Amino acid sequence: MAAPCSRMANRPLWRFITNVRRTGLKHTGVRQISLSSACRAATQTRSKTEGVPSPWKLYGAVCLQRLPVISQERNPIEDQFAELMHQMELERSLLSDHEQRLLEDSERMTRKQADNYDSDEEEADYGGQETITAQDQEDTWEQKLKHFQPALRDRDVGGTPLGSVERCLGDSLVLLVQQTVGKETIWLLPQAQWEAGETLRQTAERGLSSLPEADFKATFLGNTPCGVYRYTFPKEVRTERCVGAKVFFFKAFLSAGSASQKEPFLWVKKTELQRYLKPPYLEKVDRFILNL
Amino acid sequence: MFLVLSRQTAVPTNVSSLMGVDGHVSQGPWFASVLTLKTSAPLRAEPKKKKKVDPRREQMVRERLKKKLKKLERVPPELIPIEDFTTPAKYMDETRVRGAPQLPFEESERRALLLKEWSRYKQTQHRAEMEAVGLAVEAQREALEELRLESEELYQAALRPDPLLFPFNHQGPSYTPPKAQYEAPEGKYNNITKVYTQ
Repeated sequence: MAAPCSRMANRPLWRFITNVRRTGLKHTGVRQISLSSACRAATQTRSKTEGVPSPWKLYGAVCLQRLPVISQERNPIEDQFAELMHQMELERSLLSDHEQRLLEDSERMTRKQADNYDSDEEEADYGGQETITAQDQEDTWEQKLKHFQPALRDRDVGGTPLGSVERCLGDSLVLLVQQTVGKETIWLLPQAQWEAGETLRQTAERGLSSLPEADFKATFLGNTPCGVYRYTFPKEVRTERCVGAKVFFFKAFLSAGSASQKEPFLWVKKTELQRYLKPPYLEKVDRFILNL
Repeated sequence: MFLVLSRQTAVPTNVSSLMGVDGHVSQGPWFASVLTLKTSAPLRAEPKKKKKVDPRREQMVRERLKKKLKKLERVPPELIPIEDFTTPAKYMDETRVRGAPQLPFEESERRALLLKEWSRYKQTQHRAEMEAVGLAVEAQREALEELRLESEELYQAALRPDPLLFPFNHQGPSYTPPKAQYEAPEGKYNNITKVYTQ
């Protein structure tokens, strides 16, 4: 598979680039942090017992997904295989009641049109009733089907805006909002700062409900966070007490909701995430957003 | 003698008034025995005999019934037939067999190659799915590690299972999107499934 190999090759590259680039969200090299995190863990556990707060600010974020509404288009190979399966099943099956009726009716028609047709004999069997042939029934059923107009599958022909929930009905979409973090306004998953006395999941729920002019009803999948993004503040903002921030992500499925078009919301597919999210953030978020 | 005769004629009409007024009967000895017939000693003894024997007989009858019930209960219950496992007789009919088509060589080749292509496609799909799930699990493990470093209390709160999550229901994707304000027509059907009771 091409994708994982390229990711492995790019990892040292990203680290180099992020070290060189000076952005608001700096994700310093993984290796450096991991060495110090071991001793920091020791100090932190000691400090917990002493009652000193940790130097990381905590945030709870929600990864709200709208699951697909319609099935996806078939690949050419899937199309061919479906056809083949249908054909093979048809060949291996027995005749159904309806098909037998069709055969009998056609035989009766041929017998009627033959020269030596004895109508008395035939009608004695059937009691002289007018029978509805199976073909007539099929025709009536087809007529009924034509009266029903299903909704169209592709509505994107008109170009629905990115903020609408009804965008790509065949894919699962993720909600992105624009928030100010530090000095910049960037696109990210909706988050809120953790306050003492609540669990992180409640923080995430608060972050979702506090979005202006939108009410989304979501079912959160459990109490465990699905991912974490840790970053250190730039040197100007860094103090002894807060070195950086950790954002914990929680997964949720959208059950009902609406939002006005004015507010900056985005519903994006997994493939479109890279256009809006910063690379180090995207790297962590991409892992737990499944495109299945 | 004269007195006795007069009292004899008076008895059938005035016996009740005589009883009520006097309280005790002061007539001849043979009247006394007639009136005390109901409460004499030999008559009282007979129902006592019945009481001794009848409860035993009733008990014996009840025990026999219970034994019969136990014998009936020991029989194992009849198994409910699974109707999916028995092919109905009408499908064994030979007139229903479709003519087996004779496939040309190219067609059978094409089918075999397509099946192999399909298995390869499915294998790559499965590998990709497994990888994606592995990454997601790894991400969650890292998140829990970081949370533990932060605070033990939040970590324990995160590990607790959510009782309100299940039963979880979700309507899967359909071929066409749902129509707004569509009223499905009411359908009537007769349910002819056989219900078995043990």
